Amino acid sequence: MSKKRRIVSIVVFAVIILAILAGIYLLGKPQPKAEDLRETMRDAVLHEYMKVSLFGIKDVNPSLISAFAVTGILTVFALICRIFVIPRFTEIPGKFQMVLEALVDYFRNLGKTNSPEKHKLLSAYVFTAGVYIFVGTMFELFGIQAITTSGVSISLPAPLADINGAIAMGCMSYLFILFGGIANNGIHGFLGTIKEFSLPLSMSFRLFGALLSGALVTELVYYASFLSYGVPVIVGVLFTLLHALIQAYVLTLLVSIFYGEVSEKKLQKPKKRKRKSKAIVATDNTAENNTEVNTENSTITPEVSK
Amino acid sequence: MKVPLNIDWQQILLHALNFTILFAVLYFFLYKPVKDFMEKREASYKQQHDEAEQALADAKKTKEEYEAKIAGAEEEISVMKSEAGAKAAEERGKMLEQTRQEAAGILETAKKRGEIEHDKIIAEAQKEIADIVTTATEKIVLSADVKKSYDEFLKSAEGNTKNE
Repeated sequence: MSKKRRIVSIVVFAVIILAILAGIYLLGKPQPKAEDLRETMRDAVLHEYMKVSLFGIKDVNPSLISAFAVTGILTVFALICRIFVIPRFTEIPGKFQMVLEALVDYFRNLGKTNSPEKHKLLSAYVFTAGVYIFVGTMFELFGIQAITTSGVSISLPAPLADINGAIAMGCMSYLFILFGGIANNGIHGFLGTIKEFSLPLSMSFRLFGALLSGALVTELVYYASFLSYGVPVIVGVLFTLLHALIQAYVLTLLVSIFYGEVSEKKLQKPKKRKRKSKAIVATDNTAENNTEVNTENSTITPEVSK
Repeated sequence: MKVPLNIDWQQILLHALNFTILFAVLYFFLYKPVKDFMEKREASYKQQHDEAEQALADAKKTKEEYEAKIAGAEEEISVMKSEAGAKAAEERGKMLEQTRQEAAGILETAKKRGEIEHDKIIAEAQKEIADIVTTATEKIVLSADVKKSYDEFLKSAEGNTKNE
């Protein structure tokens, strides 16, 4: 009885849905597209037409608005945490405290492992960069609307899907590495950073390319009408989530690796001495070599005994 | 000058400004307090650990001290025990000797008393026999019937022996 009923109800629902779909197909002729796919793609990269007015001061790319929005959201979040959550931290962490601690701990460890000597500022920087990239990319998913100067409503893209935002991020990271190199290693750090002159370019365009391509793929899926049922839910969310995680991870890792490299104290003088001693050993006879080995052993043993 | 890809320097700087503000906000409101809290907790746990280790070391030290003390006490006890044993043995020997002497004395007096009693009994018996003999003789003398008196003497002697 119940089985029959179930089958009947499924059939009824299927018939109703099919009828509605047929109605949609028969009654509504698809509207002529307001915008051309090629034009949308071109504008997503170049932002020639879709500009948003920034408080009437200047027409900017929509991603700058997104960037400000992300900063606002994160500021509110941080303030709420600071006022309501952090004073109530307990020795045995609760769930939310656990999340915050894991987040902070992850970036601290990232800084510590890649730059064991100086990592205080680096950890704070990668923390901010990671959170900004992740939240900024996830921001795209909410589809918050903005009105362009031409009066069209668009959903705000990720801040870093814009060339300006990506360049800002990449160059700031590079400047941060440069600053770390100079502060910790002087001229050697400066030269070590300058040597990696392609780094700001690669970092900027990696971010730009990855995030823009994510947005474009989602857009393309929307444009193909047979793919626009159900598929964008998976593709859009999954791509955004993956990009958010991967790009946050890659940029923070790169910054901490390069920072660690340039801020590492170079032990150049002992190396030179070693080379000299090797040369002496090579030219002198073996007896001297033996005595040197002995002295080396004698210097090592007290350390071992300690 | 037309920059490729419509790069706008002003917007780049705006992005940079945005990020700098975000950095300051996140650092002072989120990262630093959480980090401080974690460091404080780590320090407190480290302190606890150090304290516990110190207490453990102290306990070990005291334990060793007490063990040494106990070993000393045990030795002392064994010495005292052996001393006490020797003393007790001596005492026992003395007592035994005394008891033996006492016992010998008692035995001696008992023997003496026994002898006196024995002598006394014998003397009494002799006296009785003498009495019987006199009464018998008297009777014989008085009756003059020799045969009868002889019989009577025998009877009385028999009765006496029976009585005794």
